[in-house]
Amino acid sequence: MATPGICDSANLNGGQKLAVKYFTVAITLFGAQVLFGLLAGLQYLMPDFLYGVLDFSVNRMVHINALVVWMLYGFLGSVYWLLEEESQHEIVGLKLGNVIFWVLTAAVTVVVLVFLLVQVGPGKESTIWLINEGREYIEAPRWADIGIVVSVLVVFYNVAATFGKGRYTGIAGVLVLDLLALFGIYLAGMFYTTNISIDQYWWWWVIHLWVEATWEVMVACIMAYGLMKVLGVRRKIVETWLYIEVALMFGSGILGLGHHYFWIGTPEYWFSIGGVFSALEPIPLVAMVVHAVFDAGARHAKNSNHPTMAWLIAHAFGNFFGAGVWGFMHTLPQINLYTHGTQWSASHGHLAFFGAYATIVIAMFYLAVQKWRGDVWMSGGLPGNGWKWKWALGLLNLGMVGMTMSMLVSGYVQSQIERAIEGSSWIGYFAAQSHHWFVQGMWWREVFGVMFAAGFVLLVWDLLTIGCGEQRKLVPASDSV
Amino acid sequence: MIEPTGLADFFTIFFSSAMVILLGALYALLFAYARIRAMPLLMPLAYLSYAGLFISTLFLAQAANLLSHPLWETVVACMLLGYLLAPHGIWHLCVGTHAAGAEKDAVTEVIPESMTKEA
Repeated sequence: MATPGICDSANLNGGQKLAVKYFTVAITLFGAQVLFGLLAGLQYLMPDFLYGVLDFSVNRMVHINALVVWMLYGFLGSVYWLLEEESQHEIVGLKLGNVIFWVLTAAVTVVVLVFLLVQVGPGKESTIWLINEGREYIEAPRWADIGIVVSVLVVFYNVAATFGKGRYTGIAGVLVLDLLALFGIYLAGMFYTTNISIDQYWWWWVIHLWVEATWEVMVACIMAYGLMKVLGVRRKIVETWLYIEVALMFGSGILGLGHHYFWIGTPEYWFSIGGVFSALEPIPLVAMVVHAVFDAGARHAKNSNHPTMAWLIAHAFGNFFGAGVWGFMHTLPQINLYTHGTQWSASHGHLAFFGAYATIVIAMFYLAVQKWRGDVWMSGGLPGNGWKWKWALGLLNLGMVGMTMSMLVSGYVQSQIERAIEGSSWIGYFAAQSHHWFVQGMWWREVFGVMFAAGFVLLVWDLLTIGCGEQRKLVPASDSV
Repeated sequence: MIEPTGLADFFTIFFSSAMVILLGALYALLFAYARIRAMPLLMPLAYLSYAGLFISTLFLAQAANLLSHPLWETVVACMLLGYLLAPHGIWHLCVGTHAAGAEKDAVTEVIPESMTKEA
Protein backbone atom coordinates (compact mmCIF):
# COMPACT_ATOMS: atom_id res chain seq x y z
CA MET A 1 0.00 0.00 0.00
CA ALA A 2 1.35 3.42 -0.98
CA THR A 3 1.55 6.49 1.25
CA PRO A 4 -1.90 7.66 2.34
CA GLY A 5 -3.11 10.99 1.01
CA ILE A 6 -1.54 10.63 -2.43
CA CYS A 7 -3.39 9.47 -5.54
CA ASP A 8 -1.55 6.27 -6.33
CA SER A 9 -2.69 3.56 -8.73
CA ALA A 10 -1.08 0.99 -6.44
CA ASN A 11 -4.11 1.52 -4.20
CA LEU A 12 -6.46 0.28 -6.91
CA ASN A 13 -7.18 -3.07 -8.52
CA GLY A 14 -7.23 -3.49 -12.32
CA GLY A 15 -10.91 -2.71 -12.74
CA GLN A 16 -10.65 0.35 -10.53
CA LYS A 17 -7.77 1.72 -12.60
CA LEU A 18 -9.97 1.43 -15.66
CA ALA A 19 -12.88 2.95 -13.72
CA VAL A 20 -10.78 6.03 -12.92
CA LYS A 21 -10.30 6.57 -16.67
CA TYR A 22 -14.05 6.31 -17.24
CA PHE A 23 -14.71 8.73 -14.37
CA THR A 24 -12.19 11.23 -15.76
CA VAL A 25 -13.92 11.33 -19.14
CA ALA A 26 -17.32 11.43 -17.40
CA ILE A 27 -16.53 14.56 -15.42
CA THR A 28 -14.98 16.21 -18.49
CA LEU A 29 -18.19 15.59 -20.43
CA PHE A 30 -20.18 16.82 -17.42
CA GLY A 31 -18.30 20.09 -17.78
CA ALA A 32 -19.09 20.17 -21.51
CA GLN A 33 -22.75 19.59 -20.73
CA VAL A 34 -22.81 22.52 -18.31
CA LEU A 35 -20.96 24.81 -20.74
CA PHE A 36 -23.15 24.06 -23.75
CA GLY A 37 -26.25 24.28 -21.56
CA LEU A 38 -25.27 27.78 -20.48
CA LEU A 39 -24.68 28.81 -24.10
CA ALA A 40 -28.02 27.36 -25.23
CA GLY A 41 -29.78 29.06 -22.31
CA LEU A 42 -28.21 32.37 -23.28
CA GLN A 43 -29.46 31.96 -26.84
CA TYR A 44 -33.02 31.82 -25.51
CA LEU A 45 -32.44 35.34 -24.18
CA MET A 46 -30.25 36.66 -27.02
CA PRO A 47 -31.21 34.74 -30.16
CA ASP A 48 -28.45 36.42 -32.20
CA PHE A 49 -25.74 35.24 -29.83
CA LEU A 50 -23.34 32.98 -31.78
CA TYR A 51 -25.91 32.63 -34.57
CA GLY A 52 -24.25 31.08 -37.60
CA VAL A 53 -21.21 30.19 -35.50
CA LEU A 54 -22.62 27.84 -32.92
CA ASP A 55 -26.34 27.58 -33.49
CA PHE A 56 -28.86 26.84 -30.75
CA SER A 57 -29.70 23.47 -32.31
CA VAL A 58 -26.04 22.41 -32.06
CA ASN A 59 -25.59 23.73 -28.53
CA ARG A 60 -28.69 21.94 -27.36
CA MET A 61 -27.65 18.73 -29.12
CA VAL A 62 -24.19 18.71 -27.56
CA HIS A 63 -25.70 19.63 -24.16
CA ILE A 64 -28.03 16.62 -24.23
CA ASN A 65 -25.68 14.13 -25.84
CA ALA A 66 -22.94 15.06 -23.38
CA LEU A 67 -25.43 14.27 -20.62
CA VAL A 68 -26.24 10.84 -22.03
CA VAL A 69 -22.59 9.96 -22.63
CA TRP A 70 -21.17 11.25 -19.34
CA MET A 71 -23.71 9.26 -17.41
CA LEU A 72 -23.01 6.16 -19.48
CA TYR A 73 -19.30 6.64 -18.72
CA GLY A 74 -20.11 7.15 -15.05
CA PHE A 75 -22.16 3.94 -14.89
CA LEU A 76 -19.65 1.84 -16.81
CA GLY A 77 -16.89 3.23 -14.61
CA SER A 78 -18.91 2.34 -11.52
CA VAL A 79 -19.42 -1.20 -12.81
CA TYR A 80 -15.66 -1.64 -13.35
CA TRP A 81 -15.06 -0.09 -9.94
CA LEU A 82 -17.08 -2.67 -8.04
CA LEU A 83 -16.43 -5.67 -10.30
CA GLU A 84 -13.29 -7.18 -8.75
CA GLU A 85 -14.37 -6.54 -5.16
CA GLU A 86 -17.78 -7.98 -5.82
CA SER A 87 -16.61 -11.06 -7.73
CA GLN A 88 -13.41 -11.48 -5.70
CA HIS A 89 -11.70 -12.32 -8.95
CA GLU A 90 -9.47 -10.44 -11.37
CA ILE A 91 -11.35 -9.03 -14.34
CA VAL A 92 -11.45 -11.42 -17.27
CA GLY A 93 -10.42 -9.65 -20.49
CA LEU A 94 -9.30 -6.45 -18.80
CA LYS A 95 -6.93 -5.62 -21.68
CA LEU A 96 -9.84 -5.73 -24.11
CA GLY A 97 -11.80 -3.53 -21.69
CA ASN A 98 -8.95 -1.00 -21.74
CA VAL A 99 -8.73 -1.06 -25.53
CA ILE A 100 -12.47 -0.49 -25.82
CA PHE A 101 -12.27 2.44 -23.41
CA TRP A 102 -9.78 4.21 -25.67
CA VAL A 103 -11.71 3.33 -28.84
CA LEU A 104 -14.98 4.59 -27.32
CA THR A 105 -13.36 7.79 -26.07
CA ALA A 106 -11.77 8.46 -29.46
CA ALA A 107 -15.17 7.87 -31.10
CA VAL A 108 -16.93 10.26 -28.72
CA THR A 109 -14.30 12.92 -29.45
CA VAL A 110 -14.74 12.51 -33.20
CA VAL A 111 -18.55 12.63 -32.92
CA VAL A 112 -18.45 15.87 -30.91
CA LEU A 113 -15.97 17.45 -33.33
CA VAL A 114 -18.18 16.50 -36.28
CA PHE A 115 -21.22 17.97 -34.48
CA LEU A 116 -19.33 21.24 -34.04
CA LEU A 117 -17.63 21.40 -37.43
CA VAL A 118 -20.46 20.18 -39.66
CA GLN A 119 -23.44 22.08 -38.33
CA VAL A 120 -25.47 22.34 -41.53
CA GLY A 121 -25.58 20.38 -44.78
CA PRO A 122 -27.70 18.08 -46.91
CA GLY A 123 -29.58 15.21 -45.25
CA LYS A 124 -28.68 12.06 -47.18
CA GLU A 125 -28.32 8.37 -46.40
CA SER A 126 -24.61 8.95 -45.86
CA THR A 127 -25.40 11.72 -43.34
CA ILE A 128 -27.04 9.18 -41.05
CA TRP A 129 -23.94 7.02 -41.18
CA LEU A 130 -21.27 9.67 -40.92
CA ILE A 131 -22.56 13.00 -39.58
CA ASN A 132 -25.77 12.96 -37.57
CA GLU A 133 -28.62 10.51 -37.23
CA GLY A 134 -31.03 13.41 -36.73
CA ARG A 135 -32.99 11.81 -33.92
CA GLU A 136 -33.28 13.84 -30.75
CA TYR A 137 -31.09 12.68 -27.83
CA ILE A 138 -29.36 9.98 -29.89
CA GLU A 139 -27.98 12.08 -32.74
CA ALA A 140 -24.70 10.14 -32.90
CA PRO A 141 -24.14 8.80 -36.43
CA ARG A 142 -24.69 5.12 -37.13
CA TRP A 143 -21.00 4.18 -37.01
CA ALA A 144 -20.86 5.54 -33.46
CA ASP A 145 -24.03 3.61 -32.59
CA ILE A 146 -22.30 0.42 -33.65
CA GLY A 147 -19.31 1.46 -31.57
CA ILE A 148 -21.51 1.95 -28.49
CA VAL A 149 -23.12 -1.45 -28.95
CA VAL A 150 -19.73 -3.18 -29.37
CA SER A 151 -18.39 -1.36 -26.30
CA VAL A 152 -21.34 -2.41 -24.16
CA LEU A 153 -20.91 -5.98 -25.40
CA VAL A 154 -17.27 -5.93 -24.28
CA VAL A 155 -18.31 -4.58 -20.86
CA PHE A 156 -20.91 -7.35 -20.72
CA TYR A 157 -18.20 -9.90 -21.53
CA ASN A 158 -15.89 -8.48 -18.84
CA VAL A 159 -18.66 -8.54 -16.24
CA ALA A 160 -20.28 -11.88 -17.12
CA ALA A 161 -16.98 -13.75 -17.50
CA THR A 162 -15.55 -12.28 -14.29
CA PHE A 163 -18.61 -13.15 -12.24
CA GLY A 164 -18.67 -16.54 -13.97
CA LYS A 165 -15.19 -17.33 -12.69
CA GLY A 166 -15.49 -15.56 -9.35
CA ARG A 167 -18.19 -15.10 -6.73
CA TYR A 168 -21.66 -14.86 -8.25
CA THR A 169 -23.72 -12.60 -6.00
CA GLY A 170 -27.23 -11.20 -6.23
CA ILE A 171 -25.81 -7.91 -7.49
CA ALA A 172 -23.89 -9.90 -10.11
CA GLY A 173 -27.03 -11.60 -11.40
CA VAL A 174 -28.98 -8.35 -11.75
CA LEU A 175 -26.01 -6.54 -13.29
CA VAL A 176 -25.30 -9.20 -15.92
CA LEU A 177 -28.93 -9.29 -17.07
CA ASP A 178 -29.10 -5.52 -17.07
CA LEU A 179 -26.00 -5.18 -19.26
CA LEU A 180 -27.59 -7.61 -21.69
CA ALA A 181 -30.66 -5.34 -21.84
CA LEU A 182 -28.40 -2.27 -22.15
CA PHE A 183 -26.96 -3.82 -25.29
CA GLY A 184 -30.23 -5.18 -26.68
CA ILE A 185 -32.53 -2.19 -26.24
CA TYR A 186 -30.08 0.23 -27.84
CA LEU A 187 -30.53 -1.74 -31.06
CA ALA A 188 -34.12 -0.41 -31.23
CA GLY A 189 -32.69 3.01 -32.06
CA MET A 190 -30.50 1.83 -34.88
CA PHE A 191 -33.01 1.64 -37.69
CA TYR A 192 -35.67 3.95 -38.99
CA THR A 193 -38.91 3.63 -40.88
CA THR A 194 -40.58 6.16 -43.13
CA ASN A 195 -43.71 6.06 -40.95
CA ILE A 196 -43.00 8.66 -38.27
CA SER A 197 -45.33 7.02 -35.72
CA ILE A 198 -43.62 3.63 -36.01
CA ASP A 199 -40.23 5.32 -35.99
CA GLN A 200 -41.05 7.24 -32.81
CA TYR A 201 -42.49 4.08 -31.26
CA TRP A 202 -39.13 2.32 -31.45
CA TRP A 203 -37.12 5.45 -30.72
CA TRP A 204 -38.84 5.69 -27.35
CA TRP A 205 -37.54 2.22 -26.49
CA VAL A 206 -34.09 3.72 -26.40
CA ILE A 207 -35.06 6.96 -24.72
CA HIS A 208 -37.41 5.51 -22.11
CA LEU A 209 -36.44 1.85 -21.71
CA TRP A 210 -32.69 2.21 -22.25
CA VAL A 211 -32.31 5.33 -20.16
CA GLU A 212 -35.11 4.95 -17.62
CA ALA A 213 -35.15 1.18 -17.18
CA THR A 214 -31.69 -0.29 -17.73
CA TRP A 215 -30.02 2.75 -16.17
CA GLU A 216 -32.37 2.62 -13.18
CA VAL A 217 -31.44 -1.02 -12.56
CA MET A 218 -27.75 -0.21 -12.90
CA VAL A 219 -28.19 2.64 -10.42
CA ALA A 220 -29.91 0.21 -8.03
CA CYS A 221 -26.87 -2.12 -8.25
CA ILE A 222 -24.46 0.78 -7.67
CA MET A 223 -26.60 2.01 -4.77
CA ALA A 224 -26.57 -1.48 -3.22
CA TYR A 225 -22.78 -1.58 -3.44
CA GLY A 226 -22.49 2.00 -2.16
CA LEU A 227 -24.66 1.28 0.88
CA MET A 228 -22.55 -1.74 1.78
CA LYS A 229 -19.33 0.25 1.40
CA VAL A 230 -20.36 3.49 3.10
CA LEU A 231 -22.85 2.34 5.71
CA GLY A 232 -21.86 -1.31 6.07
CA VAL A 233 -25.40 -2.51 5.39
CA ARG A 234 -25.52 -6.31 5.26
CA ARG A 235 -25.45 -7.92 1.83
CA LYS A 236 -28.57 -9.98 2.44
CA ILE A 237 -30.59 -6.84 3.05
CA VAL A 238 -29.35 -4.82 0.10
CA GLU A 239 -29.73 -7.75 -2.27
CA THR A 240 -33.27 -8.49 -1.09
CA TRP A 241 -34.14 -4.84 -1.66
CA LEU A 242 -32.42 -4.87 -4.99
CA TYR A 243 -34.78 -7.66 -6.10
CA ILE A 244 -37.80 -5.84 -4.65
CA GLU A 245 -36.86 -2.60 -6.40
CA VAL A 246 -36.35 -4.34 -9.74
CA ALA A 247 -39.72 -6.08 -9.33
CA LEU A 248 -41.47 -2.80 -8.51
CA MET A 249 -39.81 -1.13 -11.46
CA PHE A 250 -40.92 -3.88 -13.81
CA GLY A 251 -44.39 -3.72 -12.29
CA SER A 252 -45.05 -0.10 -13.15
CA GLY A 253 -42.03 1.36 -14.94
CA ILE A 254 -41.94 -0.57 -18.18
CA LEU A 255 -45.53 0.04 -19.22
CA GLY A 256 -45.17 3.59 -17.93
CA LEU A 257 -43.41 3.95 -21.29
CA GLY A 258 -46.94 4.46 -22.57
CA HIS A 259 -46.95 8.12 -21.48
CA HIS A 260 -44.59 8.82 -24.37
CA TYR A 261 -47.01 7.22 -26.82
CA PHE A 262 -49.89 9.64 -26.18
CA TRP A 263 -49.29 12.03 -29.09
CA ILE A 264 -47.24 10.20 -31.72
CA GLY A 265 -50.09 8.59 -33.63
CA THR A 266 -50.21 5.24 -31.81
CA PRO A 267 -53.58 3.54 -31.09
CA GLU A 268 -55.87 5.00 -28.45
CA TYR A 269 -55.34 2.18 -25.96
CA TRP A 270 -51.96 3.71 -25.10
CA PHE A 271 -53.89 6.45 -23.28
CA SER A 272 -55.15 3.79 -20.88
CA ILE A 273 -51.90 1.87 -20.55
CA GLY A 274 -49.73 4.97 -20.24
CA GLY A 275 -52.18 6.73 -17.92
CA VAL A 276 -52.69 3.76 -15.58
CA PHE A 277 -49.07 2.74 -15.19
CA SER A 278 -47.76 6.29 -15.05
CA ALA A 279 -50.21 7.00 -12.23
CA LEU A 280 -48.93 3.96 -10.35
CA GLU A 281 -45.22 4.67 -10.94
CA PRO A 282 -44.76 6.91 -7.88
CA ILE A 283 -46.22 4.36 -5.42
CA PRO A 284 -42.95 2.35 -5.21
CA LEU A 285 -41.11 5.61 -4.52
CA VAL A 286 -43.40 6.33 -1.58
CA ALA A 287 -42.95 2.77 -0.38
CA MET A 288 -39.19 3.26 -0.41
CA VAL A 289 -39.59 6.05 2.15
CA VAL A 290 -40.71 3.42 4.66
CA HIS A 291 -37.64 1.33 3.99
CA ALA A 292 -35.31 4.31 4.35
CA VAL A 293 -36.82 5.23 7.72
CA PHE A 294 -36.72 1.60 8.83
CA ASP A 295 -33.06 1.25 7.91
CA ALA A 296 -32.05 4.50 9.55
CA GLY A 297 -33.90 3.58 12.74
CA ALA A 298 -32.68 0.01 12.84
CA ARG A 299 -29.02 0.62 12.28
CA HIS A 300 -27.76 3.93 13.71
CA ALA A 301 -24.74 3.24 11.50
CA LYS A 302 -21.90 5.73 11.05
CA ASN A 303 -20.74 6.26 7.52
CA SER A 304 -17.15 6.17 6.36
CA ASN A 305 -17.39 8.81 3.62
CA HIS A 306 -19.44 11.93 4.29
CA PRO A 307 -19.45 13.38 0.73
CA THR A 308 -20.56 10.06 -0.74
CA MET A 309 -23.26 9.68 1.88
CA ALA A 310 -24.49 13.24 1.26
CA TRP A 311 -24.73 12.59 -2.49
CA LEU A 312 -26.54 9.29 -1.89
CA ILE A 313 -29.10 11.20 0.19
CA ALA A 314 -29.32 13.84 -2.57
CA HIS A 315 -29.99 10.94 -4.94
CA ALA A 316 -32.93 9.70 -2.85
CA PHE A 317 -34.50 13.17 -2.63
CA GLY A 318 -33.73 14.13 -6.21
CA ASN A 319 -35.21 10.91 -7.56
CA PHE A 320 -38.34 11.38 -5.45
CA PHE A 321 -38.95 14.99 -6.44
CA GLY A 322 -37.63 14.94 -10.00
CA ALA A 323 -39.14 11.68 -11.17
CA GLY A 324 -42.01 11.39 -8.66
CA VAL A 325 -43.48 14.82 -7.98
CA TRP A 326 -42.46 16.59 -11.20
CA GLY A 327 -43.34 13.57 -13.32
CA PHE A 328 -46.75 12.93 -11.82
CA MET A 329 -47.75 16.59 -12.09
CA HIS A 330 -48.13 16.24 -15.85
CA THR A 331 -48.21 12.54 -16.63
CA LEU A 332 -51.96 12.00 -17.09
CA PRO A 333 -52.97 12.46 -20.76
CA GLN A 334 -55.74 14.90 -19.78
CA ILE A 335 -53.07 17.47 -18.81
CA ASN A 336 -50.09 16.09 -20.72
CA LEU A 337 -51.87 17.19 -23.90
CA TYR A 338 -50.89 20.74 -22.96
CA THR A 339 -47.51 20.25 -21.28
CA HIS A 340 -45.78 17.66 -23.48
CA GLY A 341 -42.64 19.13 -25.03
CA THR A 342 -42.88 22.50 -23.27
CA GLN A 343 -40.42 23.88 -20.73
CA TRP A 344 -42.49 21.89 -18.24
CA SER A 345 -40.98 18.71 -19.70
CA ALA A 346 -37.54 20.32 -19.57
CA SER A 347 -38.11 21.20 -15.92
CA HIS A 348 -39.02 17.58 -15.12
CA GLY A 349 -36.15 16.25 -17.24
CA HIS A 350 -33.52 18.40 -15.56
CA LEU A 351 -34.49 17.51 -11.99
CA ALA A 352 -35.13 13.84 -12.73
CA PHE A 353 -31.83 13.25 -14.55
CA PHE A 354 -29.84 15.16 -11.97
CA GLY A 355 -31.63 13.55 -9.02
CA ALA A 356 -31.75 10.00 -10.28
CA TYR A 357 -28.42 9.71 -12.09
CA ALA A 358 -25.94 12.57 -11.74
CA THR A 359 -26.02 12.42 -7.95
CA ILE A 360 -25.15 8.75 -7.71
CA VAL A 361 -22.30 9.04 -10.21
CA ILE A 362 -20.88 11.93 -8.16
CA ALA A 363 -21.20 9.74 -5.05
CA MET A 364 -19.09 7.12 -6.84
CA PHE A 365 -16.48 9.78 -7.73
CA TYR A 366 -15.97 10.46 -4.03
CA LEU A 367 -15.81 6.76 -3.21
CA ALA A 368 -13.16 6.36 -5.91
CA VAL A 369 -11.07 9.32 -4.70
CA GLN A 370 -11.07 7.91 -1.16
CA LYS A 371 -9.68 4.56 -2.29
CA TRP A 372 -7.30 6.14 -4.80
CA ARG A 373 -5.72 8.16 -2.02
CA GLY A 374 -5.21 5.02 0.04
CA ASP A 375 -8.50 4.57 1.93
CA VAL A 376 -8.05 7.83 3.77
CA TRP A 377 -10.40 9.41 6.28
CA MET A 378 -13.29 11.26 4.62
CA SER A 379 -15.76 11.56 7.48
CA GLY A 380 -16.15 14.54 9.84
CA GLY A 381 -13.30 16.87 10.72
CA LEU A 382 -11.91 17.33 7.22
CA PRO A 383 -9.62 20.34 6.65
CA GLY A 384 -11.70 23.53 6.49
CA ASN A 385 -14.60 21.45 7.80
CA GLY A 386 -14.98 20.07 4.27
CA TRP A 387 -16.30 23.41 2.97
CA LYS A 388 -15.55 22.62 -0.67
CA TRP A 389 -17.65 19.48 -0.93
CA LYS A 390 -20.42 21.07 1.13
CA TRP A 391 -20.53 24.20 -1.02
CA ALA A 392 -20.32 22.14 -4.22
CA LEU A 393 -23.21 20.03 -2.99
CA GLY A 394 -25.20 23.14 -2.05
CA LEU A 395 -24.51 25.11 -5.24
CA LEU A 396 -25.19 22.18 -7.56
CA ASN A 397 -28.43 21.25 -5.83
CA LEU A 398 -29.69 24.81 -5.36
CA GLY A 399 -28.70 25.66 -8.91
CA MET A 400 -30.63 22.65 -10.20
CA VAL A 401 -33.71 23.39 -8.05
CA GLY A 402 -33.59 27.01 -9.21
CA MET A 403 -33.39 26.03 -12.87
CA THR A 404 -36.23 23.57 -12.37
CA MET A 405 -38.50 26.17 -10.79
CA SER A 406 -37.66 28.77 -13.45
CA MET A 407 -38.49 26.38 -16.27
CA LEU A 408 -41.67 25.42 -14.43
CA VAL A 409 -42.85 29.04 -14.60
CA SER A 410 -41.98 29.29 -18.29
CA GLY A 411 -43.58 25.91 -18.98
CA TYR A 412 -46.77 26.96 -17.23
CA VAL A 413 -47.02 30.03 -19.47
CA GLN A 414 -46.29 27.91 -22.55
CA SER A 415 -48.89 25.26 -21.75
CA GLN A 416 -51.53 27.92 -21.08
CA ILE A 417 -50.90 30.41 -23.88
CA GLU A 418 -49.30 28.34 -26.62
CA ARG A 419 -51.25 25.13 -26.13
CA ALA A 420 -54.56 25.75 -24.36
CA ILE A 421 -55.49 29.24 -25.56
CA GLU A 422 -53.88 29.40 -29.00
CA GLY A 423 -54.15 25.69 -29.86
CA SER A 424 -50.47 24.98 -30.63
CA SER A 425 -50.41 27.45 -33.53
CA TRP A 426 -47.37 29.46 -34.63
CA ILE A 427 -49.04 32.59 -33.29
CA GLY A 428 -49.47 30.84 -29.96
CA TYR A 429 -45.84 29.71 -29.98
CA PHE A 430 -44.52 33.23 -30.43
CA ALA A 431 -47.08 34.72 -28.05
CA ALA A 432 -45.88 32.35 -25.33
CA GLN A 433 -42.17 32.79 -26.11
CA SER A 434 -42.43 36.54 -25.84
CA HIS A 435 -44.63 36.62 -22.75
CA HIS A 436 -42.82 38.40 -19.94
CA TRP A 437 -43.29 35.52 -17.50
CA PHE A 438 -41.75 33.09 -19.95
CA VAL A 439 -38.81 35.43 -20.55
CA GLN A 440 -38.31 36.04 -16.84
CA GLY A 441 -38.30 32.27 -16.27
CA MET A 442 -35.59 31.91 -18.90
CA TRP A 443 -33.50 34.64 -17.28
CA TRP A 444 -33.75 32.97 -13.89
CA ARG A 445 -32.86 29.66 -15.49
CA GLU A 446 -29.63 31.23 -16.76
CA VAL A 447 -28.84 32.78 -13.37
CA PHE A 448 -29.28 29.45 -11.61
CA GLY A 449 -27.34 27.79 -14.44
CA VAL A 450 -24.37 29.98 -13.55
CA MET A 451 -24.80 28.96 -9.91
CA PHE A 452 -24.80 25.32 -11.03
CA ALA A 453 -21.64 25.92 -13.09
CA ALA A 454 -19.94 27.45 -10.03
CA GLY A 455 -20.88 24.32 -8.10
CA PHE A 456 -19.37 22.18 -10.84
CA VAL A 457 -16.05 24.07 -10.70
CA LEU A 458 -15.98 23.64 -6.94
CA LEU A 459 -16.80 19.94 -7.30
CA VAL A 460 -13.85 19.40 -9.64
CA TRP A 461 -11.55 21.37 -7.33
CA ASP A 462 -12.71 19.31 -4.37
CA LEU A 463 -12.30 15.99 -6.17
CA LEU A 464 -8.74 16.98 -7.04
CA THR A 465 -7.84 18.04 -3.51
CA ILE A 466 -9.99 16.17 -0.97
CA GLY A 467 -7.97 13.74 1.10
CA CYS A 468 -4.71 15.24 -0.20
CA GLY A 469 -2.04 14.75 2.46
CA GLU A 470 -4.57 13.08 4.79
CA GLN A 471 -2.80 10.63 7.09
CA ARG A 472 -5.80 9.29 8.98
CA LYS A 473 -7.19 6.02 7.66
CA LEU A 474 -10.89 5.45 7.15
CA VAL A 475 -12.84 3.67 9.86
CA PRO A 476 -14.72 0.88 8.11
CA ALA A 477 -18.51 0.97 8.28
CA SER A 478 -19.94 -1.05 11.15
CA ASP A 479 -20.91 -4.34 9.54
CA SER A 480 -18.84 -6.43 7.19
CA VAL A 481 -19.58 -6.59 3.48
CA MET B 1 -61.48 7.89 -23.80
CA ILE B 2 -59.93 11.09 -22.49
CA GLU B 3 -61.51 14.44 -21.92
CA PRO B 4 -58.86 17.18 -21.87
CA THR B 5 -58.87 19.35 -18.81
CA GLY B 6 -60.26 22.88 -18.86
CA LEU B 7 -57.98 25.92 -18.82
CA ALA B 8 -59.28 26.99 -15.43
CA ASP B 9 -58.31 23.62 -13.92
CA PHE B 10 -54.62 23.70 -14.85
CA PHE B 11 -53.42 24.92 -11.50
CA THR B 12 -55.72 22.56 -9.60
CA ILE B 13 -54.26 19.62 -11.49
CA PHE B 14 -50.62 20.58 -10.99
CA PHE B 15 -51.14 21.44 -7.34
CA SER B 16 -53.27 18.44 -6.42
CA SER B 17 -50.90 16.05 -8.29
CA ALA B 18 -47.94 17.39 -6.36
CA MET B 19 -49.90 17.14 -3.11
CA VAL B 20 -50.77 13.50 -3.84
CA ILE B 21 -47.08 12.56 -4.01
CA LEU B 22 -45.95 14.80 -1.16
CA LEU B 23 -48.73 13.71 1.20
CA GLY B 24 -48.12 10.12 0.15
CA ALA B 25 -44.50 10.50 1.22
CA LEU B 26 -45.50 12.24 4.46
CA TYR B 27 -47.96 9.45 5.24
CA ALA B 28 -45.26 6.84 4.61
CA LEU B 29 -42.72 8.79 6.66
CA LEU B 30 -44.99 9.28 9.68
CA PHE B 31 -46.25 5.72 9.45
CA ALA B 32 -42.75 4.27 9.48
CA TYR B 33 -41.49 6.70 12.13
CA ALA B 34 -44.41 5.99 14.44
CA ARG B 35 -43.67 2.30 14.32
CA ILE B 36 -39.90 2.36 14.42
CA ARG B 37 -39.81 4.76 17.37
CA ALA B 38 -42.85 3.14 18.98
CA MET B 39 -44.66 6.50 19.01
CA PRO B 40 -48.33 5.59 18.43
CA LEU B 41 -49.32 9.25 18.80
CA LEU B 42 -47.82 9.90 15.37
CA MET B 43 -50.05 7.34 13.71
CA PRO B 44 -53.15 9.59 13.62
CA LEU B 45 -51.01 12.23 11.91
CA ALA B 46 -49.97 9.64 9.35
CA TYR B 47 -53.59 8.85 8.58
CA LEU B 48 -54.39 12.56 8.54
CA SER B 49 -51.78 12.87 5.78
CA TYR B 50 -53.48 10.02 3.98
CA ALA B 51 -56.81 11.83 4.35
CA GLY B 52 -55.17 14.86 2.71
CA LEU B 53 -53.94 12.59 -0.05
CA PHE B 54 -57.45 11.22 -0.45
CA ILE B 55 -58.91 14.70 -0.82
CA SER B 56 -56.13 15.77 -3.22
CA THR B 57 -56.80 12.71 -5.36
CA LEU B 58 -60.49 13.57 -5.54
CA PHE B 59 -59.65 17.15 -6.54
CA LEU B 60 -57.29 15.81 -9.19
CA ALA B 61 -59.90 13.34 -10.43
CA GLN B 62 -62.50 16.09 -10.67
CA ALA B 63 -60.23 18.57 -12.45
CA ALA B 64 -58.76 16.01 -14.86
CA ASN B 65 -62.20 14.59 -15.73
CA LEU B 66 -61.25 11.17 -14.38
CA LEU B 67 -64.69 10.44 -12.94
CA SER B 68 -66.43 10.29 -16.28
CA HIS B 69 -65.12 6.93 -17.45
CA PRO B 70 -64.93 3.54 -15.66
CA LEU B 71 -61.26 3.04 -16.59
CA TRP B 72 -60.14 6.32 -15.06
CA GLU B 73 -62.34 5.69 -12.02
CA THR B 74 -60.44 2.42 -11.59
CA VAL B 75 -57.14 4.33 -11.81
CA VAL B 76 -58.31 6.64 -9.02
CA ALA B 77 -59.34 3.66 -6.89
CA CYS B 78 -55.99 1.92 -7.52
CA MET B 79 -54.11 5.06 -6.51
CA LEU B 80 -56.08 5.45 -3.29
CA LEU B 81 -55.68 1.79 -2.39
CA GLY B 82 -52.04 1.63 -3.48
CA TYR B 83 -50.97 4.62 -1.43
CA LEU B 84 -52.88 3.30 1.59
CA LEU B 85 -51.46 -0.22 1.50
CA ALA B 86 -47.92 0.31 0.14
CA PRO B 87 -46.39 1.50 3.46
CA HIS B 88 -48.00 -1.46 5.29
CA GLY B 89 -46.66 -3.94 2.75
CA ILE B 90 -43.19 -2.45 2.69
CA TRP B 91 -43.10 -2.40 6.50
CA HIS B 92 -43.76 -6.14 6.60
CA LEU B 93 -41.05 -6.69 3.99
CA CYS B 94 -38.63 -4.61 6.06
CA VAL B 95 -39.31 -6.60 9.21
CA GLY B 96 -39.01 -9.86 7.29
CA THR B 97 -35.79 -9.06 5.46
CA HIS B 98 -34.03 -7.50 8.42
CA ALA B 99 -35.08 -10.26 10.78
CA ALA B 100 -33.83 -12.94 8.37
CA GLY B 101 -30.54 -11.10 7.97
CA ALA B 102 -30.15 -10.62 11.70
CA GLU B 103 -30.80 -14.30 12.35
CA LYS B 104 -28.20 -15.39 9.89
CA ASP B 105 -25.56 -12.97 11.10
CA ALA B 106 -26.50 -13.44 14.77
CA VAL B 107 -26.88 -9.68 15.17
CA THR B 108 -30.20 -9.85 16.88
CA GLU B 109 -30.04 -6.37 18.33
CA VAL B 110 -30.41 -4.84 14.87
CA ILE B 111 -34.19 -4.89 15.16
CA PRO B 112 -35.49 -3.68 18.49
CA GLU B 113 -38.37 -5.64 19.95
CA SER B 114 -40.66 -2.62 19.73
CA MET B 115 -40.43 -2.69 15.94
CA THR B 116 -41.35 -6.32 15.42
CA LYS B 117 -44.12 -6.08 18.00
CA GLU B 118 -45.82 -3.29 16.06
CA ALA B 119 -45.62 -5.24 12.85
